[in-house]
Amino acid sequence: MPDKVPKVTIEDLQPADGEERLGYWARHRFMLLIVASIIISLVMVSISLAAYNLSGTAQLDLSRPGYRSVSDQVETQNRIDGFSSFGSVSLDTIDEFIFLYDEQAEKAKAVDAFNGDPLNPEVLEFTVLDEE
Amino acid sequence: MKRILIVSLAMLLSTSMAFVAVQATRAQATLTEEQRERIVVNCVGIKNTLNRLKVSDALLRVNRGQIYESMRGKLMEPFNDRLGNNSLDNRGLVAATKSYNIELSAFRSDYQSYERQLIAAIQIDCTEDPDAFHFAIENARILRQQVNDGVGRLHEYIDDYRNGVSDFRLNYERVSGDSQ
Repeated sequence: MPDKVPKVTIEDLQPADGEERLGYWARHRFMLLIVASIIISLVMVSISLAAYNLSGTAQLDLSRPGYRSVSDQVETQNRIDGFSSFGSVSLDTIDEFIFLYDEQAEKAKAVDAFNGDPLNPEVLEFTVLDEE
Repeated sequence: MKRILIVSLAMLLSTSMAFVAVQATRAQATLTEEQRERIVVNCVGIKNTLNRLKVSDALLRVNRGQIYESMRGKLMEPFNDRLGNNSLDNRGLVAATKSYNIELSAFRSDYQSYERQLIAAIQIDCTEDPDAFHFAIENARILRQQVNDGVGRLHEYIDDYRNGVSDFRLNYERVSGDSQ
């Protein structure tokens, strides 16, 4: 069976007499592609991380190292059905809204979040000493 | 004239620098030797307490934040839109929502600042630099208080909006003649 695939040797790839030699960047274009891809990836990752940290998303991410112990304690049962933006308005619909609102407002105001003074250095430093 | 101006500027600059230096010294001076020693001795324990507080506050931020966000996104805004879609006067409620929204943004950024400061405090080596550690905790304490103040204001805006809805209901009842 005849060999249908033409054999290409390294000599065939060399410029023939009279042909212009490839430039430096043209000869290293594959390496250039890889380096450029890595640089673009690094830039994109840096932008993403900056956005993640600056936007406040990081504060909501309990999958961060050190926060995983409480990630299963995020309240998922308190989801409320939203009030529809569409439809007519009557006293019934207003009362329906008031009912939903009062229920949610009660939950919102039930906890005076971040109260107390756990960071009072006197309390913090003395409490720890007493504990040990 | 130019010389007087330069001398005046130099005096002003040196006075302000001296003032800043005095303030810094005064702040540093508030830490006694006993406190310093106490921090060094209890360094690990204090850091554990701070780490626990950091985690519990993060959970609190997520859970409270969800409720505050849903008040706005699922209740206030849809109700305002519904009134607007029916050509009813919702300006008072829109203004209350706007105020709530501004406070909610402040809550987010205040918490962000607080968490950063708390992490910065935890990262300080308290055995090496108890003074910096102490003042970093003081700053975190102030920022945490700001978050708590913001929470109080959010609760006030929630009440304001509720009062606005009650007023709207009264007006609507009077104008429409619809009664229950």
